[in-house]
Amino acid sequence: MQLIENHKTTGIPLSPKAKLSARNVDVFYGDKQAIHDVSLDIGENEVIALIGPSGCGKSTFLRTLNRMNDTIDICNIKGEILLDNENIYDPKVDTVPLRARVGMVFQKPNPFPKSIYDNVAYGPRIHGLAQSRVELDETVEKSLQRAGLWNEVKDRLHAPGTGLSGGQQQRLCIARTIAVDPEVILMDEPCSALDPIATAKIEELIDDLREKYTIAIVTHSMQQAARVSQRTAYFHLGQLIEVNPTDQVFTTPQHELTEAYITGRFG
Amino acid sequence: MDMNFNQHISQQFNADLEAIRNQMLSMGGLVERQVSDAIEAICSGDTSSADKIIQREDDVDDMEVNIDQECTHILVRRQPAASDLRMVLAVSRVVRDLERIGDEATKIAIHALEVANGSQASSKICHQAIRHMGTAVVKMISDALDAFARHDIGGAIEVVRNDKMVDDQYASAIRELITYMMEDPRSIGQAINILWILRAIERIGDHARNISEQVIYLVSGTDVRHSSLSEMEEQTQSDL
Amino acid sequence: MTNSKATNSKTSTEATTMTTTNLTTREKVELSLARRRAAETRFRLYGMVSVFFGMLCLVVLFTDIASKGTSVFKQTSLTTEITLDSGYLGINKDSSIEDIRFANFEGLIKRHFAKSVKPKGRKAKRELFKLISPGAAWQLQELVLANPTAIDSTVTIELLMDDDVDQWFKHDFGNDVVDNGRLSEQQLAWLMTWIEEGQLDSHFNTLFFTNGDSREPELAGIHGAIKGTLLTLMVTLILSFPIGVAAAIYLEEFAPRNRITEIVEININNLAAVPSIIFGLLGMAIFINIFGVARSTPLLGGLVLTLMTLPTIIISARAAIKAVPPSIREAAYGLGASKNQVVFHHVLPLAMPGMLTGTILGMAQALGETAPLLMIGMVAFVVDVPGFINDPSTVLPVQIFLWSDSPERAFLERTSGAILVLLSFLVVMNTTAVILRRRLERRW
Repeated sequence: MQLIENHKTTGIPLSPKAKLSARNVDVFYGDKQAIHDVSLDIGENEVIALIGPSGCGKSTFLRTLNRMNDTIDICNIKGEILLDNENIYDPKVDTVPLRARVGMVFQKPNPFPKSIYDNVAYGPRIHGLAQSRVELDETVEKSLQRAGLWNEVKDRLHAPGTGLSGGQQQRLCIARTIAVDPEVILMDEPCSALDPIATAKIEELIDDLREKYTIAIVTHSMQQAARVSQRTAYFHLGQLIEVNPTDQVFTTPQHELTEAYITGRFG
Repeated sequence: MDMNFNQHISQQFNADLEAIRNQMLSMGGLVERQVSDAIEAICSGDTSSADKIIQREDDVDDMEVNIDQECTHILVRRQPAASDLRMVLAVSRVVRDLERIGDEATKIAIHALEVANGSQASSKICHQAIRHMGTAVVKMISDALDAFARHDIGGAIEVVRNDKMVDDQYASAIRELITYMMEDPRSIGQAINILWILRAIERIGDHARNISEQVIYLVSGTDVRHSSLSEMEEQTQSDL
Repeated sequence: MTNSKATNSKTSTEATTMTTTNLTTREKVELSLARRRAAETRFRLYGMVSVFFGMLCLVVLFTDIASKGTSVFKQTSLTTEITLDSGYLGINKDSSIEDIRFANFEGLIKRHFAKSVKPKGRKAKRELFKLISPGAAWQLQELVLANPTAIDSTVTIELLMDDDVDQWFKHDFGNDVVDNGRLSEQQLAWLMTWIEEGQLDSHFNTLFFTNGDSREPELAGIHGAIKGTLLTLMVTLILSFPIGVAAAIYLEEFAPRNRITEIVEININNLAAVPSIIFGLLGMAIFINIFGVARSTPLLGGLVLTLMTLPTIIISARAAIKAVPPSIREAAYGLGASKNQVVFHHVLPLAMPGMLTGTILGMAQALGETAPLLMIGMVAFVVDVPGFINDPSTVLPVQIFLWSDSPERAFLERTSGAILVLLSFLVVMNTTAVILRRRLERRW
């Protein structure tokens, strides 16, 4: 396995309604290059799935989109990532408001060891989004409702969030993310630790959230990518091989590597 | 790249796909023989071979059911994508067309028996056209299956082109038949049998065309059903 | 089949040696199984033996200390009626405190016993007075100071006996002891009389807990040492906990990863292994010589112990911070929390149980420390109970060290008693650490 020389992404990586655009992004971990010259648009109100074999850089790429890689000292990024045409890697940009605009849901459900209420209220509190207790209550309720968790937890809002089941915890994390009303939600394999029922609920939720948010989801499950996304991007060894409408990727992929990966001929 | 992209990680998946493809091709072989035997039965008036064709029809039906079941199994167990998905879908559709061709062959055999039992005088009406069209459709079936086996879009388009010729021959044979019927109203009984036979052969041509369309879908992913030859050529330009 | 079996069993020993290589996997596994089981059993046995040995040592130690030390909680005294003669004492109800302090209570006691026992000759008198503790006079003085109206009346008082009497009464009386130690026949006769009259008895020893150190064993107590220990530990805690936690947070969360922080880290780990007496020398050189902090004070002791416990606290606090799952940090960062918010809202609360445990264990270590305190003069003989951190004082372990050096039999008893008190402090602290950790970890 080696890099493709002079590779140009196959398909349609750009979008006319781009919310978040990556332009010629290279990511280095020390001397090792993890992402090679990736240009990709994530359109407004679309779910884009990032797929590819392990170590292909899809998670790394996702984390560059809200500068989560900043916490890793040896991580270096070249190129531009534009959120509404503003480069988020501009030295003037502060990561705090950026991450409020570009939220993230992680692989393992990671609620804070606090109550359900405090988990959801944490974001609005630190960003000062609610002026009063009543307003905060409303935000919490709305977020939990949108995450489809309200009916399950409304009677025990002050029970610890860690006491919920895995799927509920992940929906709590999603509620916590949407409580700060982000524009983009990044999801890093949000269902990998969940059973099929919980997974189905999250997928249903992603579908609902699309009306309001722009979503990028990294997934190892190709069926999941096929179910939830409108466009699919295939990464291979840090290169963006192909981006196309999901239906097309799963019936007639253009690039032989994509074909080989999704038909299970390697990876 | 030193990886072999022709092989799945799952050897069983390889074997399963190979199995439905081979079973479909052998079903195609059987159906092809049914058609050629049926044509031969009319031309030679051999009633015993017509009986055999009608008996073998059951085998064709069984094969269709079996292959379709295996396609379902693959869909359920492997959730195939891309070329694998197209392979399974194409096989499933081709098998349907093959079964229809088998039905048409049986129809021809039934009418061949009727023709053989009818008046000898008019039994040879349109024999020329039947033999001609028959040979053409048998070749079309075999060409379409070859194209399927070799993933050959060019061959598939050739079959579509041939179907057009068969349609033309069918039109002129009908005209010839009408002339017979107008000349001698006593031959109408036989002529209707011949009409059914011609009709069946023409339908077989259409089914062969459908099979070729599936070859195009299998190889390029474009669905060319219900499009004209020129459209088809245009759409598959890049894959040729 | 049967035939082949028979042959097999006949030549079984031969067969096993010959066909070891031809055994099936299952047979090989079964062969090795016995060996593995034996190894397991052996290992378990070794473990049990070492645990048993450790427990045995502990039990021996504790029973020894307890058997020697528990008697310290009893004190022998003589119940007697004594008239507070204003004429002899030269004071009355309205005398000033100063006058009362200078009144001759000792003489009064001597006169009282001289009258009641009637010893013959100067030598006998001296022997009689030796039975009474010098503290008896002090007892009377306290009584009068508390209640001046008692002057000229007859009071019943439990007069403190000398340590020789105390030891004899607690340990030797009633036993068939040939050697009566430092007591003469005459003294024993008087004591027996008192015992018969029911005057001599032992009571709970409150003085042990309320007095400071003394040259007289029956008057020596641990109050001063306990107070000194508490003040010293308070200084240590107030200094080392915030400094240690802050250092740990900085090193773990904020410090850039470079050579300098690396050197700092290595040095902190090395400091934890430095012999404590070195810290004493350091404290002496820096705090006394350069900053001029008064010697033998809890403040100085606390400063030195802070130096000593800091590495322990920093290391345990860092471990606690490291143990906070990265997913929690990520979640907070992902919501747009700033570095400070992540640390103070999430990392610190989650690391707190570990930090507290480390701190309490560090404190327990400081509690038992003697060597560095010897270097900074806390070994001095201090009679007064310290009032604040700048009063000269001593601490429990040093007190134990001092007493263990004294020749009197009664001090041996006091040494053990003080060790018991020190050990119970340690047990309380360690239990608190465990409870605290359990309580706080429940939120996890």
